[in-house]
Amino acid sequence: MSADAPLGTFEEQVLLGVARAGDDAFGMNVRRIIEHATGRDVAIGAVYATLDRLEAKQLVRSFRTTRDGRSRRMFRVTREGVGALHDSRAMRERLWQGVRFDGLPDES
Amino acid sequence: MIRIAFAILSRCLEPGERDEVLDDVGREYATRRSRDGGIAARRWLWRQALGSVPGAFRRGWQRGSTGFVPESERLRGGGGVVEGWLLDARFALRGLRTRRQYTVLSVLTLALGLGGTTAVFGVARTLLLSPLPYGDEDGLVMFWHPYDWRESEFTLLRGGGWPGLEGVAAYWPEGAFMREPGRPARLVPGLVSSAELFDVLGARPLLGRTFAPGDDAVGAAPVAVLSWGLWQELGGRADVVGSVLTLNGVAREVVGVMPPGFWFPDPTVRLWMSTPMRADDNVGRYTLVGRLEPGATAAGMTEPLRRITERLSANFTYPAEWDKTRNASLTPLRDHLLGPVRPVVLATLAAMAVILLMACANVATLMLAQLRGRASELAVRVALGAGRRRLAQQLLVEAALLALVAGVVGAVAASAGFSVLVAALPLGVLGDVVAADYTLYAASLGLACIVTLLVGLAPVFSLWRGELRDTLATARTGGIGGRSGRLEDALVVGEVALAVLLAVGAAVLIRSVDNLRAIDDGIDAYGVAVIDVAMSGDVPPAVRLQRLRDLVEIVRTVPGVQAAATVDRLALRDRGGFWGLAIEDRPDMPMTTTAFRTITGDWFDVMGVPLRAGRVFDATDRADGEPVLVVDELFARTYFPGEDAIGRRVSHGGDPFRIIGVVGTVPAGGLTDERVPTRYVLNEQMGHTRETAVIVLRAGAAASADAVLQDAVRRIQTDAGDIAVRGVATMESVVTQALGPTHRIMQLMTMLGTLALALGAVGVYGVVTHYVHRRRRDWVIRMALGMKPLDAVRQVVGRGMILALAGCAIGSVAALAGTRVLASLLYDVRPGDPAALAAALAALLAAVLLAALVPALRAARVDPAHVLRDAP
Repeated sequence: MSADAPLGTFEEQVLLGVARAGDDAFGMNVRRIIEHATGRDVAIGAVYATLDRLEAKQLVRSFRTTRDGRSRRMFRVTREGVGALHDSRAMRERLWQGVRFDGLPDES
Repeated sequence: MIRIAFAILSRCLEPGERDEVLDDVGREYATRRSRDGGIAARRWLWRQALGSVPGAFRRGWQRGSTGFVPESERLRGGGGVVEGWLLDARFALRGLRTRRQYTVLSVLTLALGLGGTTAVFGVARTLLLSPLPYGDEDGLVMFWHPYDWRESEFTLLRGGGWPGLEGVAAYWPEGAFMREPGRPARLVPGLVSSAELFDVLGARPLLGRTFAPGDDAVGAAPVAVLSWGLWQELGGRADVVGSVLTLNGVAREVVGVMPPGFWFPDPTVRLWMSTPMRADDNVGRYTLVGRLEPGATAAGMTEPLRRITERLSANFTYPAEWDKTRNASLTPLRDHLLGPVRPVVLATLAAMAVILLMACANVATLMLAQLRGRASELAVRVALGAGRRRLAQQLLVEAALLALVAGVVGAVAASAGFSVLVAALPLGVLGDVVAADYTLYAASLGLACIVTLLVGLAPVFSLWRGELRDTLATARTGGIGGRSGRLEDALVVGEVALAVLLAVGAAVLIRSVDNLRAIDDGIDAYGVAVIDVAMSGDVPPAVRLQRLRDLVEIVRTVPGVQAAATVDRLALRDRGGFWGLAIEDRPDMPMTTTAFRTITGDWFDVMGVPLRAGRVFDATDRADGEPVLVVDELFARTYFPGEDAIGRRVSHGGDPFRIIGVVGTVPAGGLTDERVPTRYVLNEQMGHTRETAVIVLRAGAAASADAVLQDAVRRIQTDAGDIAVRGVATMESVVTQALGPTHRIMQLMTMLGTLALALGAVGVYGVVTHYVHRRRRDWVIRMALGMKPLDAVRQVVGRGMILALAGCAIGSVAALAGTRVLASLLYDVRPGDPAALAAALAALLAAVLLAALVPALRAARVDPAHVLRDAP
């Protein structure tokens, strides 16, 4: 598994979820953010499996901290993770350049 | 239900985050229940649980295969289920790599058992488990008296309907002489049958049609149905239907092609031909196959059969030995076609399964010894918190890895050696339907799973029972562990018992084949070669006779050939050819038949049949001379007891023939078949001959039968192009074949029996070696106190022999019952034959003695200083 490989869609969503959650980036919270933003049901097990993969690629880092008297596993986007998100966005914007829908049916 | 969802979710989470996430999910569930209602909340919870399962597997696989541990979880214990198994697999792989000798030995031992069992299973699956290529085969039955029904009987019974049966077809095997441009003439194995055949079998064609009612009417156009294989050989074109083939000199329209995989009544038959069923044809040659009415069984047909036999006895009279009105019975088609090979395949499968079990026991013993050798490592793992369950899991994973690798090696070996096995089994023509396919691999891997459990069970059981605790306790101190090792002992006793079972099986078969070999075959087979030939059916009978005489002359001039002759049916192979018998001066003799063979040339000389009285045929016996006859001793004894048969005149329906000589009796078919009185007549004096004949030739002292065969065939193909060579053999191989299936299964069983003895000896060797290793401190101290080395040898060998004797006792009892499966293959020997049992036990005890002696001698030569310094 190479860190240079482009992010998968769900990987990108989870990485953005961790970034948006900031200091509150634990699994259930990331799940909730993705669910709100995408309107899709997301299983907590899938989120943790993806977080594991992202950590193995060194795009996030996990650590333990105590919140409300409880030990929690928290996540933070690494510098490589930020780079991967920027790359992903830049790639998408490059792909969007010059796209015209003249002659194609409307989305509705 | 909610609890189950939480339980599933819990299994999907790593221990490090489990509590906090379950807590979070619980809160969210409560929020949703008050906001959206109980049903919606429950649905959400189940989606969470089930949706997490694939991710959990992915994650476990990733962690297990890469060894990845998140930073937040370093130094925390535990791990998921998949991860645990994968880590154990990695650990076991590392361990197996370092213990190479053990790994290779275990894999090879298991692969031997797995490969063999898989291959035999492949044969058994096709022959015993797969459905036959007919519709609803349960309703298909064979009539009594095969190869003996006449067209007159069949048409009579068909006219009156078949009570209890939906339909009946009559058939008899007949080769079709075929000539194609650019190829030598050949005889295609075929069948002629009444029009009902395919309807009775419930078989549909791939192309065209099968026989239609009326195809077997007198005067109907002859038609043929091709097998898929023959159709392919003829070009595989769809327009073959409607084309005309000249078969046996008769133009036949090809009306259909059967699908691949269809065969009847055996896989060598490649062509089915219609034949007119005449009410006045009285030659007995047909076999009848029928389909029962729905719901009827072969056993419940007594009343309908009584009605059939009543009709027969009202219209025909029979000699006592061919009386169809007595002992009428129907045999299920499967029993008729596959019954003869069933005991052979089952016995081989059982023997291979025994070898597999022994291999499992051997590897389990090896693993137990390894377990004790790894006592220190296990002790450390237990000290670091590994539970019994985790250790057991690791042992099972190790067993599974060994079994899987062995399964793959075994499957490759099974598919590579499959054809060898099929050739070694006495399957006859059914060998053609057996082929290796992907199911071999599936079977091998399925067996590997069972093997995993069989191999892993003993060490896991030992661990569970706490035997390991004792071992661990004594591991570092080198204490005297006298009690441990009982499980190994039990395994070896079992192994020896299984070896006895196989060895006794092999021994009774060897005795049986010895008895068969002792039967007098009445000929001198050494140096005799056999060539089966056929002529086209449209060659006139007079020309056929001349062609046969020419053929004998052609073959006689081949270098190395001393003498040649022809016969219509080969003794010791081709049964059949029975003719009615009438004796002059005995008009009141009941109607009877005897075997009847027509010969040319020096048949008696070539075959080495001894003359007992009078003379055999010579050049003075000509077509236009007095009709003469040679009979065998049995004929003379049966019909002229206490009289001189020479000079008596007998007939087979026409002019009487004078008996000029009496020769030795030669069995018509199998060696164990009841002997039948036989008459020999000259081809020339019969005035006609069949389309098929057998050339027999005797090689001179300087040449072998094999060597002259090829030359003779080549000479026939160049000098007699209109004659097809159907097959060649040496007479010795024909005699071996006449011994029946016992001979070939004996060879296979002897090999397996030897293998079992070797495996049993290796098992004893392993256990005794381990016993010596455990007790060596003990002995060293006792030797230091004055015990003689010879006593140590005696003790070790005694230990091995006690195990072996216990195994022999159990094995003997098992063999008495187990060898019954061979009963149908035995000749003049009982399944539990005492001599065979004694021979097998002696061989086994000798092997065990040798296996125990090696570690015993090593024990006697042990260096005390070395042992005491290096303990354990």
